[in-house]
Amino acid sequence: MNRLFQLLAACVLLVAGGSAAQAAPPQLQDLEGKRIAILSGTAGDLAARRQFPDAQFVELTTTSDAALAVDTGKADAFVFDKSVLINLAAKNPQLRIVEQPVGRLDVAVAMRKDNAALQAEIDGVLAALKQEGELQRLRAKWVDSRYTTPPPMPSFDQTGRRGVLRMGTSAENEPFSFHARGELAGLDIELIHLIGQRLDKRIEIVDLHFDTLIPALQSKKIDVALANFNVTEERKKLIRYSTPYLDNDISALVRAQAPAAGAENDGLPRWFRSVADSFHSNIILEDRYLLIWDGLKTTVIISVFSTLLGTLLGGVICFMRMSARRLLKVPARIYIAILRGTPVLVLLMLIFYVVFASIHIDPVLVAIIAFGMNFAAYSAEIFRTGIEGVDKGQTEAGIALGFTRVSTFVNVVLPQTIHRILPVFKGEFISLVKMTSVVGYIAVQDLTKASDIIRSRTFDAFFPLVMIAILYFLISWVLLQSLGYLERVTDPKYGRKAGGS
Amino acid sequence: MIKVDHLCKRFGNLTVLKDISIDIARGEVISIIGPSGTGKSTLLRCLNLLDQPSGGRIEIDGVNLLDPSTDVPKMRRKMGMVFQSFNLFAHLSVLDNLTLGPIKLLGTGKAEAQSKARDLLKLVGLAEKAASFPDELSGGQKQRVAIARCLAMDPQIILFDEPTSALDPTMVSEVLAVMRRLANEGLTMLVVTHEMDFARDVSSRVFYMDEGIIYEQGTPAQIFEQPQREKTRAFIHRIRSVCLRIDSPDFDLYAVNAEIEQFCEKQILPKKTRQHLWLLIEELLAVYRPRLAQAPVEITLGYAEKTGRLEVALESPGDAPNPLDSAALPDELGLSIITKLAESIDYRTDARGNRLSLRLIGG
Repeated sequence: MNRLFQLLAACVLLVAGGSAAQAAPPQLQDLEGKRIAILSGTAGDLAARRQFPDAQFVELTTTSDAALAVDTGKADAFVFDKSVLINLAAKNPQLRIVEQPVGRLDVAVAMRKDNAALQAEIDGVLAALKQEGELQRLRAKWVDSRYTTPPPMPSFDQTGRRGVLRMGTSAENEPFSFHARGELAGLDIELIHLIGQRLDKRIEIVDLHFDTLIPALQSKKIDVALANFNVTEERKKLIRYSTPYLDNDISALVRAQAPAAGAENDGLPRWFRSVADSFHSNIILEDRYLLIWDGLKTTVIISVFSTLLGTLLGGVICFMRMSARRLLKVPARIYIAILRGTPVLVLLMLIFYVVFASIHIDPVLVAIIAFGMNFAAYSAEIFRTGIEGVDKGQTEAGIALGFTRVSTFVNVVLPQTIHRILPVFKGEFISLVKMTSVVGYIAVQDLTKASDIIRSRTFDAFFPLVMIAILYFLISWVLLQSLGYLERVTDPKYGRKAGGS
Repeated sequence: MIKVDHLCKRFGNLTVLKDISIDIARGEVISIIGPSGTGKSTLLRCLNLLDQPSGGRIEIDGVNLLDPSTDVPKMRRKMGMVFQSFNLFAHLSVLDNLTLGPIKLLGTGKAEAQSKARDLLKLVGLAEKAASFPDELSGGQKQRVAIARCLAMDPQIILFDEPTSALDPTMVSEVLAVMRRLANEGLTMLVVTHEMDFARDVSSRVFYMDEGIIYEQGTPAQIFEQPQREKTRAFIHRIRSVCLRIDSPDFDLYAVNAEIEQFCEKQILPKKTRQHLWLLIEELLAVYRPRLAQAPVEITLGYAEKTGRLEVALESPGDAPNPLDSAALPDELGLSIITKLAESIDYRTDARGNRLSLRLIGG
């Protein structure tokens, strides 16, 4: 849900900001008392709070959302790692970086608190890389070059003989970790492969939300995290850092002067004028349609299978709930109350980070289980309403005719129930399809995640958002047709209407 | 065919059937009559175990139904049941309602089941409704389909649970006509009904149920012409009654009159009758006043809907002589009013006390 809100907020920001009046770019001291966008818990966050004690802070979760907030006038500045800001400014001519830095930061590899052995190994590798000038080369290649198209990633052989090193990252942080040409690229990605080679370990990369990297470390889902991880005192309490592999300025990103009046003289908003350009940069460039296609498939798979699982499980829960035995009835009531009373995102994270903490399980499967369990609670109650809605006389008539209880249910009650509950069931199904948009939290690349990845590269909120809105609608619509068919054939009078008997 | 011994049924603390023992031969048509809430429907539902009996024994065709090893669903196939609320399967057409049981339970082929179903629909006069759905039929048509659905299973017994109670008066006769026809064809039938004419004309025996037992049973002639017991009589003659208790000589006459008025209004009695009743009761209480000092008197007003007779009975304990004997009265005026208003007067005493009963004139 959170993510949906963010998307919506971003959309509103963008549209509202289209015509906002622009002021002259402020100096660093001018920012005191203004609205400053930050990503919670980063070094930029701490530095900005130290530098501007009286400012208002707008807390966001991705760099692209923060840059968008500055662009649309919802914030006056975004304080963050300069190397990332350079990239954002390069993609949007309206933004520029204040020369005077806000502070300094160190970037390091994050590890589990109790994993001192791994720290020693990685520190050793980093010291060697520094000695050989490799770290300086990486910095020159990814940060100081100020490239316009991302430099190519070298290929690494994955023949580690000393096991696997699982690395978590958040690939929405150009130039450290991002999607380019259908694969992960960036300084952090190249660095971890170098470390893997030196340690003779195979690297497996898990793309997660930045917020969930620390929980993933703690629950042993990953061994290390590289995602432009700033070293802060607060985080040191939770995780162990290697020696820093990069240090950099913390700077402020602000709006440049208002654009010339002539630029908008055709009266149409900027994003509307260049739909073709947007289509090209968001979909064609770097084969991004593949990201969308994969995300679409994942969303459909999760929706369909969790509906199937939820319907079957819902049937079992409904049977237990309607049983006369307390031993069955009470657990079913508790299950329904808890599952309906807690956000599905929380359930998803609990299953991924707690229940399956040390088991390496496909996150898509976790998503299907979590949404299936949630759907079961709702469908169980829908089934119960449907079954209780069938007149008791129907059951009595079946039993009096000589049917057993079970065959009465199958032949008499169930056919009447299905037709009755389908309208409500369809509504619940649509909610489920849309709810799946939170699976990005457990490293599943669904449709929403695909659009996030594209947005983080193209800095274009409108086009990807509207596109996935349309795609969600289409998925729901197509899947609903199959339920609609079921609704028609379970209509008792269907045969007659179709010209049957 | 059906043998029931000492059947009882309790719902929680409420005992609905106390002790029922019946024996029904093949081909008998039994009507079960009696006031509401006396367990008629429960008895029927116990016979096919829709309600589980609390005790006793039920034997159908020599098979003990309550034996755990009995295949109850199989036994139910021999016993059709027609419900007050029809209970046709709402998701099936009329024809499918009739064929579901034979196809799924008896293993009849679809074509055979359908042709038999069409014959049965013809029998109940609804051949043209085969493709209709239950919600498109009138109440009477639904009940006839329900009867046909029972017949499709070739039952030996059919239990009818108030089959006409939910019907418009105009539709009752079409259902009763079908039932009459079945009775003539030798099916064993148990019919819980309020249709007295049907019970009288069609049944081989009539059970009158009250107080959780078969209170009285007999041929229709015995039950309808000469009911032996008081509650049966009251039911057959559709007697409505009210009971007033007078505890002391200083009773509240106005309260008594108000109760009489209420009773008269309920039975829609003419104003004149009410005035006669007031006068009669007032005079009777004047006569009874000396007795009231020692013992209470219970006055029962009974109105027979069917005959229009209004009866007054005064009961008190003890075996005192007839208070209307002129010797015991202070004056003749009260007595002359009473005798003028009463068509017949009867006084008797027995072990339980004495009872004076009068029938009001003009009733």
